[in-house]
Amino acid sequence: MTQVIDKPVGQQETRPMTMAAALTDAMDVALTRDPKVIMYGEDVGRLGGVYRITTGLQAKHGEARVFDSPLSEAAIMGTAIGAAAVGMRPVVEFQFGGFMMPAFDHIFSHVSRYRYRSRGRWKTPLVVRFPVGGGLGLLEQHADSPEAYLMHTPGIKIIYPSNPYDAKGLLLAAIESDDPVFCFETIKLYRDPKLRQDVPTGYYTVPLGKARIAREGTDVTIIAYGGMVQPAEAAAEAAAQANVSCEVIDLRSIVPLDIDTIINSVQKTGRAIVVHEAVRTGGVGAEIAALIQEKAFYSLEAPIERVTSFDTMPSPFNALNHFSRPEAHHIAEAIKKVLSA
Amino acid sequence: MSESSDIFAGSTLQTADLKPFQILAPDGRPVREELIPDLEIVEELYRRMARARYLDDKFMVLYKSQRLGNYAQFGGQEASQVASAFVLKAKDYVCPMYRNTAAMITHGWPIEKAILYWRGHPDGWRIPDDLNIMPIIISIPGQIVHAAGVALGIQAQNLGAVALSYIGEGGTSQGDFHAGVNFAAARKAPAVFIIENNGWAISVPRKVQSGVDYLMRRAEGYGIPGYLVDGNDALAVYTTAKKAVEDARVGNGPSIIEQLTYRVRPHTTGDDPKAYRTEDETNEWIANRDPIKRLKLFLEYEKRWNDDREVAMQAEIETEFTAALEAADHAPAPDPMALLDYTMIEPTWQLEEQRATLQARVAAEGGAA
Repeated sequence: MTQVIDKPVGQQETRPMTMAAALTDAMDVALTRDPKVIMYGEDVGRLGGVYRITTGLQAKHGEARVFDSPLSEAAIMGTAIGAAAVGMRPVVEFQFGGFMMPAFDHIFSHVSRYRYRSRGRWKTPLVVRFPVGGGLGLLEQHADSPEAYLMHTPGIKIIYPSNPYDAKGLLLAAIESDDPVFCFETIKLYRDPKLRQDVPTGYYTVPLGKARIAREGTDVTIIAYGGMVQPAEAAAEAAAQANVSCEVIDLRSIVPLDIDTIINSVQKTGRAIVVHEAVRTGGVGAEIAALIQEKAFYSLEAPIERVTSFDTMPSPFNALNHFSRPEAHHIAEAIKKVLSA
Repeated sequence: MSESSDIFAGSTLQTADLKPFQILAPDGRPVREELIPDLEIVEELYRRMARARYLDDKFMVLYKSQRLGNYAQFGGQEASQVASAFVLKAKDYVCPMYRNTAAMITHGWPIEKAILYWRGHPDGWRIPDDLNIMPIIISIPGQIVHAAGVALGIQAQNLGAVALSYIGEGGTSQGDFHAGVNFAAARKAPAVFIIENNGWAISVPRKVQSGVDYLMRRAEGYGIPGYLVDGNDALAVYTTAKKAVEDARVGNGPSIIEQLTYRVRPHTTGDDPKAYRTEDETNEWIANRDPIKRLKLFLEYEKRWNDDREVAMQAEIETEFTAALEAADHAPAPDPMALLDYTMIEPTWQLEEQRATLQARVAAEGGAA
């Protein structure tokens, strides 16, 4: 990475940004700082991507560095591996998380193993970004949350921002990371006006693998990430009315996982709930529950609860989605359950 | 040198100056008079294309009044879809992608079901039992590989049917397009693969997808016929599809048909093409190369069509659509159990547990209401 002397965050200029704007800004900063950064995917050039996250980047940085690729996720992923291995820092986009699967061979079999397979000769410092999550009444494959498949694949990192500041800082850290990083961008948060916040306009990073305590509490720990942080906070707020104090942990990264923050919290509260929009069985929640019982079993006052979507495809039946996709009142039920154990 | 010439003898790749097959010029005048099908068929094609256009127009109106979900328009591609699906028999299979509503209603999908599908209603997702239509595929190009498999199943059971699948020009860049077509070709399975080259994959123009001039040239690499057709000429589409389907049916194996057309409408209701292409380009296609107008002009030259017949036909189309819309509007609210139904034939205990949770949530919502 090009050596740049940065001002400390506290002294930087800021600008109000949505999560979408913060992600765009992060890539603009990365393209400006490092000539090795290139960006491609379907529709990312002239259109700026289906969610306009790469808007303006081709105009500013040129077609050689920001371009539309042929329509093939396998090609986008596989070429990113090759280009990264020989010195580039590709930041590529899939149109939706649900469209990742044609690239899965390159994820499961290759990007995760390239360095290991060459015993360190070839590293693949690349970032793959894509929109995820539902609740918007979109078509099939436009609402998936496929993080568990990646968490179960050794050798890759996963970031999952819940707000503009984190999104920009995590993405910049991801682009600098020498390991491949997958960036899950919750569609519902992209332009959520409630999340708009002052974000530094220049360079800064949010370290990978460091969770954020979104709300401090003493009775119940709620672990969430991405689009589930808001309902977790809402449930915690509702619980506070009944004098129940919930701590909400926003993981920010799934891999590396900030186990210290989770365990410290559970040792304090004795009760844990994991929330994710992805389906239940074999999910991130299962892994976190296993880790808590390994490392904090004797602190537990109640079985760990999971609040997740049902074990079926994200529903295209728009009128019914709210029965499955976790909402604050589903989390509230779980709070009652862990308290009554 | 003579040796290497021998090696490449017979290869036509990139050497032949291909012209799209046409029976009618854009002004409706025949350029291949001898190939005009029976005029009864031409009239029926015109009616069905007009019916499809009416649906596409109405769906946009329904979307704007929030009576339809996000929808992928096909308007401008009526010849490409209707005139190809029209050649199928009831026992033949359509393996559709999301832009194939016109092909599907041509193969018998009730308009009421189409409305419910695009409303995200489970009753629309259920394909009627008497229709050989496979599920609509959103993640392209799954449908191409499934079609190769359907063709394999047809062949193994001697069903005498054909699998017809569609893909856009963008989708042909996916590796599985190759995998599916190659498999069908290697097994001489009865499939027909139609590339609807409408020029645009959302904002990405055709030339970004591949360095080759015409995508049907890939057929040579599979050892199967490849056809290049004016996709807005319903008679050329019909004639080519009929040949490809009947060749497949009698055991001659699959074909690739590239139909040159244009996506005059947005990618979906959520897209605005002004962000990436000129309106002049689109308007030129609408004004001079509209497939329905072309067929109507031809029928008028042949004295097979007049204003009275047009008015009567449009009234019929409107009556049919209005009845379908009314039926869709009266469909019962979706049963919440549809969320879990059909996940597994033998549900796991986890699914049974989640069914109980779902029932409790539905009861709680009912109680609160």
